[in-house]
Amino acid sequence: MRRLVRILLVRILLAIVVVIAAGVAIFLFKPAPLPDVSVAAAKLPTGQALIERGEYLTRAADCAACHTTSGGQPYAGGLAFKLPFGTVYSPNITADKETGIGNWSDAEFVRALHQGIDSQGRNLYPAFSYAAYARMTTEDALAIKAYLFSLPPVHAEAPKNDLSFPFNQRYVLRFWNLLFVPDGPLSQDEKQSAEWNRGAYLVEAMAHCGECHTPRNLLYGLDNGKKFAGAELQGWKAYNISSDKTTGIGSWSDEQLFDYLSKGHADGRGSATGSMGEAVDYSLRHLTPEDIKAIVAYVKTVPPQTSSDKAIVEAEPPATLTTSIAYAPSADSVAQSGLGLKLFQGACASCHGWNGEGLQTPYAALRGSRTVNDPDGTNLIQVILKGAHMTTPLGKQAMPAFANAYSDVEIAALGNYVLAHFGGKQSAITPADVAKARMQ
Amino acid sequence: MIALNVNGEDRSVDVPDDMPLLWVLRDVIGLTGTKFGCGIAQCGACTVQLDGQPVRSCVLPVASVGSRHVTTVEAIGATQSGKKVQQAWLDLEVIQCGYCQSGQIMSATALLDRNPDPSDSDIDAAMSGNICRCGTYTRIRAAIKQAAKA
Repeated sequence: MRRLVRILLVRILLAIVVVIAAGVAIFLFKPAPLPDVSVAAAKLPTGQALIERGEYLTRAADCAACHTTSGGQPYAGGLAFKLPFGTVYSPNITADKETGIGNWSDAEFVRALHQGIDSQGRNLYPAFSYAAYARMTTEDALAIKAYLFSLPPVHAEAPKNDLSFPFNQRYVLRFWNLLFVPDGPLSQDEKQSAEWNRGAYLVEAMAHCGECHTPRNLLYGLDNGKKFAGAELQGWKAYNISSDKTTGIGSWSDEQLFDYLSKGHADGRGSATGSMGEAVDYSLRHLTPEDIKAIVAYVKTVPPQTSSDKAIVEAEPPATLTTSIAYAPSADSVAQSGLGLKLFQGACASCHGWNGEGLQTPYAALRGSRTVNDPDGTNLIQVILKGAHMTTPLGKQAMPAFANAYSDVEIAALGNYVLAHFGGKQSAITPADVAKARMQ
Repeated sequence: MIALNVNGEDRSVDVPDDMPLLWVLRDVIGLTGTKFGCGIAQCGACTVQLDGQPVRSCVLPVASVGSRHVTTVEAIGATQSGKKVQQAWLDLEVIQCGYCQSGQIMSATALLDRNPDPSDSDIDAAMSGNICRCGTYTRIRAAIKQAAKA
């Protein structure tokens, strides 16, 4: 009798295990259904009007920043994303039938944007910000596809991803999607103005600001409890852009935010470089003033997050700036500095000047920039190494890259001098820090 | 068409907005005293003044000049400090090959306009961005001091 009970129990247990395993298998491997996009498609204009709408939205979603390599064909992909578990390359999203997305149906494209699944049903990696694009309306997604398909196809095979196990198993991402991908477009908040709601849509579904500016948790999902508190990625800091007055953008005026986003520079706040410079260049400067104002209206209401980042800009500029003139540093500043000052006066002062106002162009003004106020010097070293390129209302502005011009010792000394002079900050950038930054 | 005031003269030039001011000066207007050196604002040979401020014309998009007055080496001798600087340059025979010297003179004049009695470190701070491959630096320093006293 006892033996019979035991056999029965084992069988029940086995049955449960099989049912669970089958459930997990279905969850992991069942092909994802395609959405019905006919209702949305019927609401859209056709022809040139659709393509123009798509062009604006493609810029608002900043597809170019990731799907174009430096100097490469627009949207032909191939840009490397170095992640802690390997390297992912952005695919070609031109309408090329062999190497791009030329064979994708409308429904497949919408599914990719909303769920991160390619035309073959394979999961895409969340380096592709579909967790943000999930908030996009189907109409807007279709308009983006219409624009991409209106461009000449580019035949370009993106390099193969290089990921370690288990991250190279794409089905694992279905668990991740369950946790981190929202379902359906962003809903309107009736308590807020139309402008605020437009801003929320642009920030959350299009510009995907949080993908860089919100820290990630252990599972690499966005930690939205710390929304916009800032994060570090690929060797650069994406600063805190919550409304915190000290570590965020709470003390920026509306005008400063507007200028920074639409022109890449705000008086008293410095200029956008690195990935933010690209975001302005490819995306934000093309948006209408109304849309930029909407973004400002929304971003200002994101709750303050105090971050541990020490890139804090004091309300009063340091004495080193107020006692300097455009082309001469204050006597104190000269007395305390050696190599850093020497390098700055030779390579930097002719454009940046000494008083933080910029000599060559307002874009070279350093006063109030977080990059010259961050004792870690993270972005400062990157800008010195890589330079900066921007298209602005004053024409193309460029700073040369100094990576091949100066040694690690020299760039460390220059960085420490710039932080002391322009930010009034004590820093201890070492040549080893510079060597590390060169690798990124 | 872009409106410019160069050496006190109003001009209108038909060039793209992002053409560097240096190209406009040399190739369109024909003022070839200003030289092309490195093209990335690192040598100072292309220095001109905008409302008295020294700028590197090789990387300055012409559209960003606006209403500011452009002064080049051709006209700097008409200013008080420019005249003194050029005389000191001649007296001390500063120039060797001469390629960088129009830029040196534009930076030195701007320095003296702001600081009539510059110290060695003031001169270093204002002039280090102007490179001279003949190595005339000591004579440049001496000439600036002489011009300051003149």
